[in-house]
Amino acid sequence: MLRRALGWLGNPWLQIALNAIIVTISELCLKLGARDTAYLAHSWSWTGYTGLASIWTWLGIVFVVLSLVSWLYVLRLVPLSIAFPLSNVVHILVPLSCWIFLGELISPRRWAGIALVLIGLFVVAKPFARIEEKL
Amino acid sequence: MNSWKFVLIFSALITFVAGQLLFKRAMETSHSHGFGKQFAVWFVPGIVSMTVSFFLTLGLLQHLELSYVYPFQGLSVIIISVAATFLLKERLTLQLALGALLISAGVVLVSLS
Repeated sequence: MLRRALGWLGNPWLQIALNAIIVTISELCLKLGARDTAYLAHSWSWTGYTGLASIWTWLGIVFVVLSLVSWLYVLRLVPLSIAFPLSNVVHILVPLSCWIFLGELISPRRWAGIALVLIGLFVVAKPFARIEEKL
Repeated sequence: MNSWKFVLIFSALITFVAGQLLFKRAMETSHSHGFGKQFAVWFVPGIVSMTVSFFLTLGLLQHLELSYVYPFQGLSVIIISVAATFLLKERLTLQLALGALLISAGVVLVSLS
């Protein structure tokens, strides 16, 4: 039972999806952290280190670390030239969640871009599905 | 800020791509050699590269909208697909190349909005 559950969790598709969700959460946290600290002027502030003054940045870092672990697991199983294009599903998830949670606007052109990314994902994912069937 | 903005965005992009390639190589090494010294040789530079990319991106986010900054990373799809073919000897099929181009075009379109 446990092995079956672990086997299911080890599915590369699921891991790529899970990774994209973790990345999206980390991006939102980092944006909130950056927003909170944008007023902190310092000659080295272009390095972004002033962002560390916000708890959101630290929470973002936790999710970045989690996403790294899950991403390394994906890389063990899937070629980079397939895994990386698929990981770009975050370019759909991030604008959508910026719209929903941060109140940023999505212009018609941006919606068109999101649609194009979606088509690209399907084109890449199709041969990947065939490879997986062979495994 | 304007030209600096693009220098910083480009630097964040290059360090990100390098990090991905180093991570993939590290995980390939782990198949045959486990997680020892051989693994660390690729993994540690990967972490360094990713950390630099992370802080550059954070700096950019303090001045620009997330939905503007982030999509620039979309260009990395093309760069990584090409680099994986030459540096990691992965097979780049026509379908993969087409998919990568579509994703990149979509991401750039998102970033221009």
